[in-house]
Amino acid sequence: MARILYIEDIQDNITLVEKIVTSRGHEFLSARNAESGLELAFSSKPDLILLDLGLPDADGQTLSVWLKGDPALSLIPIIVLTAWPEEVVRQTVEAYALNGYLCKPFSLAALVNMIDSVLGTKTI
Amino acid sequence: MTIELIPADLFTLQELTDLYNQTRVDYLIPMPMNADRLGEYVHDFDVDLHHSSVARSSDGQVLGLSMLGVRGQIAWITRLGVLPASRRTGAGSALMDCMLENAAALGIQQIHLEVIKNNEPAYHLFLKKGFVETGNYLVMRHAPRPMLNPPQGEATWLDFENALQQLESYPLHLTWINAARSMRNSANTEGLHLRLPNGDSGWLVYRNTRFTLRSTLSHLIMHTEQGDPSEVGRELLSHLHTHYSHHDTYAENILENDPHLPAFQALGYFTNFSRIEMRRISHTQKYTAS
Repeated sequence: MARILYIEDIQDNITLVEKIVTSRGHEFLSARNAESGLELAFSSKPDLILLDLGLPDADGQTLSVWLKGDPALSLIPIIVLTAWPEEVVRQTVEAYALNGYLCKPFSLAALVNMIDSVLGTKTI
Repeated sequence: MTIELIPADLFTLQELTDLYNQTRVDYLIPMPMNADRLGEYVHDFDVDLHHSSVARSSDGQVLGLSMLGVRGQIAWITRLGVLPASRRTGAGSALMDCMLENAAALGIQQIHLEVIKNNEPAYHLFLKKGFVETGNYLVMRHAPRPMLNPPQGEATWLDFENALQQLESYPLHLTWINAARSMRNSANTEGLHLRLPNGDSGWLVYRNTRFTLRSTLSHLIMHTEQGDPSEVGRELLSHLHTHYSHHDTYAENILENDPHLPAFQALGYFTNFSRIEMRRISHTQKYTAS
């Protein structure tokens, strides 16, 4: 079981991903903006962060820099979940040295596979 | 549908923020805000909330909003958006007409706006309302990365007033958000002046925005006083990113054919999206919707 933090401003998306994550036996945490997401990452030290790019204070790219820039958090893998155009997301993931992305709308199976792949676990 | 247009200053910043975020939920590049950020936006870009509007149906449902920035004889339409379920009801057109009427009532001679490239419905609405394209701009990002070579030349870091002094001498057009007035409205404006060993020189003005826990760079405006803009620009950016080696950077509204563009690309900037700037010249004092 892993601890997974989802940073996303839209509650419906949080609810949907929470169902998927908890159904796989993982612990689920969420934050709805960048600064509370960063604080929660500090306090909870998650195994994986799922990150939306469009956040209401600082955006996901900026937050990923803050996360990667802190020695206590820099090794936590980050997967981007976003509605942004795929080519922009691909470049963002590469430039910001993130661990993967899924463009919305994505399937349940795609999210499960991505989480398992990044955490190094097998899909059941 | 009967559409009522209400001055935006009758709503709280939180109500306007919630409405704005709902209008952008399915946008090409969703960029939500919180009330603090919208408050800064209103302040920095001289948004006149009394002459900005919220559209409402006769049964009291909010439909969308639009904001008007005002600086002397020039105005800027921004944050125009309609809730997804209320599109194709005439709300967007009614909001635009309201902005144009309000601008005319203020004696505005010229109105600017920007639209994200490929937002076809908005672009065609603006064409229909008499706007014409005036420029194509890039919105670019730069992630922190190790600098391979030490920056060249002598950099002088500029405080707020000295940075503004440089910017106010800028000879070319700047879009509303990067204009000297916008940068003067933000306490986060800084800059640097560079002189290279061969005598070439230039300057860079930017915002260093502090959040509670970290800061980030944005609103970059670059000018080459002497020399090749791609070389002077590369060294200006090298100094910036060596000095602020852990900062994320967001460069908005860089002209598509800006001679400094190769410098941005050489430093690893990549394009997030493009914007089209459009303008409408007022020929009559009073605007009447057709």
